[in-house]
Amino acid sequence: MTDRRSFLSGAALIGAGMVTKAAVASLPEAPVQSSPATQAPLSPPNGRPYNPVVTLNGWTLPWRMKDGVKEFHLVAEPVVREIAPGMTANLWGYNGQSPGPTIEVVEGDRVRIFVTNKLPEHTSVHWHGQRLPNGMDGVTGLTQPGIPPGKTFVYEFVAKHAGTFMYHPHADEMAQMAMGMMGFWVTHPRDPKQHAVDRDFVFLLNAYDIDPGSYTPKINTMTDFNLWTFNSRAFPGIDPMVVRKDDRVRIRVGNLTMTNHPVHLHGHTFEVTGTDGGWVRPAARWPEVTTDIAVGQMRAIEFIADEPGDWSFHCHKSHHTMNAMGHSVPTMIGVDHSGVAEKINNLVPGYMVMGDKGAAMDGMQMPLPENTLPMMTGDGPFGGLDMGGMFTVVKVREGLARNDYKDPGWYKHPPGSVAHEWTGELPPAPRAPGAPPAKASEAMDVKRDGDMHHHH
Amino acid sequence: MTSLYKLVGGVSLLALLGGCASLSGDGGFGAVASVSEQRTGAPASVAGRLPRNEDDARALAAVIGKKLEQPLSADDAVQVALLNNRGLQATYWSLGVAEADLVQAGRVQNPVLDFKRSHGGGEVGIERTLTFNLVGLITAPMASRIEGRRFEQTKLLVSNEALKVAADTRRAWVDAVAAAQIADYAKQVEASAQASAELSERMRKAGNWSALDMAREQAYHAQTVADVTHTQKAAVAAREKLTRLLGLSGEQAAYRLPDHLPDLPAAPRELANVEQAAVDERLDIQAAKLDTEQTASTLGLTRTTRFINVLDLGAVRNTDGPTATRGYELTLEIPLFDWGSARVARAEATYMQSVNQLAQAAVQARSEARASYADYRASYDLARHYRDRVLPLRKQISEQTLLRYNGMLMSVFELLADAREQATAVSGYIGALRDYWIAQANLEAAQGGRLSTNKGVQP
Repeated sequence: MTDRRSFLSGAALIGAGMVTKAAVASLPEAPVQSSPATQAPLSPPNGRPYNPVVTLNGWTLPWRMKDGVKEFHLVAEPVVREIAPGMTANLWGYNGQSPGPTIEVVEGDRVRIFVTNKLPEHTSVHWHGQRLPNGMDGVTGLTQPGIPPGKTFVYEFVAKHAGTFMYHPHADEMAQMAMGMMGFWVTHPRDPKQHAVDRDFVFLLNAYDIDPGSYTPKINTMTDFNLWTFNSRAFPGIDPMVVRKDDRVRIRVGNLTMTNHPVHLHGHTFEVTGTDGGWVRPAARWPEVTTDIAVGQMRAIEFIADEPGDWSFHCHKSHHTMNAMGHSVPTMIGVDHSGVAEKINNLVPGYMVMGDKGAAMDGMQMPLPENTLPMMTGDGPFGGLDMGGMFTVVKVREGLARNDYKDPGWYKHPPGSVAHEWTGELPPAPRAPGAPPAKASEAMDVKRDGDMHHHH
Repeated sequence: MTSLYKLVGGVSLLALLGGCASLSGDGGFGAVASVSEQRTGAPASVAGRLPRNEDDARALAAVIGKKLEQPLSADDAVQVALLNNRGLQATYWSLGVAEADLVQAGRVQNPVLDFKRSHGGGEVGIERTLTFNLVGLITAPMASRIEGRRFEQTKLLVSNEALKVAADTRRAWVDAVAAAQIADYAKQVEASAQASAELSERMRKAGNWSALDMAREQAYHAQTVADVTHTQKAAVAAREKLTRLLGLSGEQAAYRLPDHLPDLPAAPRELANVEQAAVDERLDIQAAKLDTEQTASTLGLTRTTRFINVLDLGAVRNTDGPTATRGYELTLEIPLFDWGSARVARAEATYMQSVNQLAQAAVQARSEARASYADYRASYDLARHYRDRVLPLRKQISEQTLLRYNGMLMSVFELLADAREQATAVSGYIGALRDYWIAQANLEAAQGGRLSTNKGVQP
């Protein structure tokens, strides 16, 4: 395997050797974040006030004010990202993380962003969705030369419009985005009361193809990814979105994968209040429980968290709530293994029959290749969740403090409010007149027995 | 007269000396057996002599029967072949033939007594002639030496034949064990393919697979069934070849062999000067040397006797009537028409033929020594490569495949396909190991017998 040190050293050397000391001294600090945990919102220490957002499993980039200009410093570099506990990935990102830190500014701010390239190849930053001078658009070849390894370029423009944006390279885009180069951008309205919400979560959708046992994404994969992530994290590595009951909650999602994602919230209805283009007029908003986010799009959804509980929030493409899986593994459901299993076991010691009743792996503790997440995983208060990938939980609780994002644990259901086994009389099933009586065993054949694996 | 008596006296002395070369009783087998035992590590007889009677046959059967109680090791196979290979037994007996020739050569031709009685006209004539082959007397020591060398040569050639049978047996044993092992693996592969085919049928039955998917899996199984038959055929042929060398039949032909070849030794033999060793040690080279010496002697003899074809000396006593006359008679062929030059030329040509044959044998032996040693080292490296690289990597692949199966990243069919590939790698290793042990037997043969440094690594 590649360890963090050897993976990072090659590119870091290029950077260190080529950035001159004088250049570094005049640059604003480039803070680095090494933790994959969700960081507390960054209240603006200076400049215009705004309501900061919370980046799911991410953080916001601090800035310095210089002559009324907000100066940020992004360092494009190789990083090691923990996709979920038990699995790390060799990615490219910014300031120690992939995705990079969220940049928050206020409508009308003049923004200056220094971009230092510590990658082994040239890069650029495209400020996706922004209205800015053409030469600041960050498209290599078209509007600027690429930033060579070891060099620092500066971008400067006024954040004209409030809204939800992203940033990503527009240089060797396919490789650099497949390696995790991206970040979130929020331009807050000049008036903090405008569009104000109590909790404002942001994250990007991204996908990687990392072979079990390896660490670096296969950048040439086009559609058959095996890790579907929120901010380069896969469930159970994604933090819950903790909200106070009756909070107005906004979730802003940007899609930088190669396919669309219908994100779906349980227990509430929401409205799509914003796109990349700006805010949706209230009269044009549709009530939704699922909204499709196409490739390269941003959506802001809003809802009142009026139902306490632990509510699923996930992409509704069911393969996208799975981790690494064999997409060409044949279906084994209903296949009788008796006799054959013993023969196979003679040849392959350690073989167990799997999949003959379905694919659920709950309770299964079997050794896996290194650096791999189980296909579906995550434990809840009632057992295995059988989920992975683009899945998390919105935790609605009463009586939280305004800035309290701490995981409150599992929801304590009021007595009698949880589905439970029926132990009373079963009413007879209605049958068509003259139909033969049903065989009791038929239903049993497809019922899972809870213990999916068999030791032969 | 005096000279005649002296001559006759000399003749009787020579005759006496000639009579000293007597039959050894074992036809020179003892000497051969000891060379063969020294070179192969296995005695060539049960009682130190060739079996001649029922008792000997029973003793032999008992020894062989005991060996066959256990799975037959390579050393035991060689032992059984040396004791029981009938072709080799026949060769042993040729020693007896050569020894008889030697003894015959050392004996002076019997004197011939001519007695003639005639009567006519009232007179009785009695004519007595005692004749010796004088040339026989003169040439007896030389002929004896020649026959002596021929006998020595025969002993070497017979010993060499024993070594050949030993080497053939060792090779055949390696082949037979390896073929059986490969056939076994083919069966394992077939079993995995069968499991796969069965499962594919059930996949089809459950509605999860198309007829095409099922046919693919089953076609593979059908192929493996054919492979099993192929390997079994080869195994039977290899075993029967060994059986023939062992000279076994009937119940004894049901002998058992070990399940697998012996492991690869920790290190290959380092042999310096393989060519010299081959030239020094190989019995066929030694026999060729003797042949050359022999033809040289023959040439000398032919030169000596080129003018004399027959020299007969006779003591004559004639009783003719009342008076008896004594005298002697000498017959000498006058080389008027045949000066013996053709015979000498023939002997010279034969000698030169022999010299060149010896040179050729030496060239061949040196080349075989080089080739067999190079092959031996390469075979060792290849077998070690299989053992240390191919098999561990295959094992690693299998372990990793199982982990991927556990994670539902791969299907059971891939698991089975991998098991089949692993078996193929194991077959490759068996083949490489077989080649190694055969290369070692070849090297031994090219070096003229068991390698002195080879103790403990025999298969």
